[in-house]
Amino acid sequence: MKKGKITMTITIGLACFVLIAVMFMQFKIIGLTDVTNIETMREEELRTQLANWKTQYEEVNQKYEETQETIKEYQEKKQSNDETAELLQQELDQINMILGKTDVQGQGVIITINKVESEDVPAISAIDLQLIVNSLKNAGAEAISINNERIINTTDIVDIADLYIKINAQRILAPYEIKAIGDQTYLESGLLGNGGIVDELRSVGEDIKIEKSNKVVITKYTGEIKSKYMEE
Amino acid sequence: MIFIAIIIGCILGAILGINAPTISYMYSSYLAIAIIAALDSVFGGIASVINKNFDLKIFISGFFGNAILAILLTLLGQKLNVDIYLAAIVVFVWRMFMNLGIIRRYYVEKWSGKLENLANRKHKENNLDNKAQKN
Repeated sequence: MKKGKITMTITIGLACFVLIAVMFMQFKIIGLTDVTNIETMREEELRTQLANWKTQYEEVNQKYEETQETIKEYQEKKQSNDETAELLQQELDQINMILGKTDVQGQGVIITINKVESEDVPAISAIDLQLIVNSLKNAGAEAISINNERIINTTDIVDIADLYIKINAQRILAPYEIKAIGDQTYLESGLLGNGGIVDELRSVGEDIKIEKSNKVVITKYTGEIKSKYMEE
Repeated sequence: MIFIAIIIGCILGAILGINAPTISYMYSSYLAIAIIAALDSVFGGIASVINKNFDLKIFISGFFGNAILAILLTLLGQKLNVDIYLAAIVVFVWRMFMNLGIIRRYYVEKWSGKLENLANRKHKENNLDNKAQKN
């Protein structure tokens, strides 16, 4: 065999040796490496993943912002609802107060009518009480009660066979104590003076006292306010 | 003769490769392209042996030069953000097939020639036998 041929054979063998050695090293690396591990990823793979995550992040962020806005909207709605509820509550309170369903207090007058034990003096009738109540209303009374029976718009004041007076279907006996809340001066002057009902009654001989007070307490109407035929 | 050298080289290389320490995964892309380049060089070398124009200097310079150039190209491609290594792979694989074609053709022709010779020889022997029997 020629010398050239031997060197040629050895060279190609060596080349093969190096090639296969490197190849197996590469196989080993690829086999050992966890491709999904982030530290061993190639730059492009990382770039793709990063882009993916970015997109996902943006999507989630957008959703988050949308949700946040919805929450805000709901909160605003809730707030306006609260305001409405408050207004309604205020209105309700006021209506209850006017209706006489709450205890109220304020400046006003207390009229006390004591029974007079005399045959000359007639007993106080329902009409007298009605007139007093009317006078008080005329003088701007906001709340009136007779013997703690609150006068409301359905209140009846009637005589029952000259035996007793019935107010709000409750029996009322003397002495009568009429409480009214309103301007003290107006209320008093409405009852007294020329043509005042109290003066008229006094002239007949009734024992009536009018007392001004800065704190008149009028209790609420305890019955039930019902309507059967009335419709809106 | 040359095939024995290739097989011995392959076996020894495999043993060394399996027992060699692992390299960082970072370099695996460079190593891969170098392997393709070296594979091309080896096929080129075998083809040139067959063509009887094998030159040791050209073979060795090609073997290492191609591998190093391929690695450098891959590096440059990464710096430029262009996948140059794809072009290198295409060229190397294309050349590999060319060289394989040369090798294949040589051996096919060689063996078919041998078969023909064998057939001819048998034919002649038969003729001789016939003549002998006639005689």
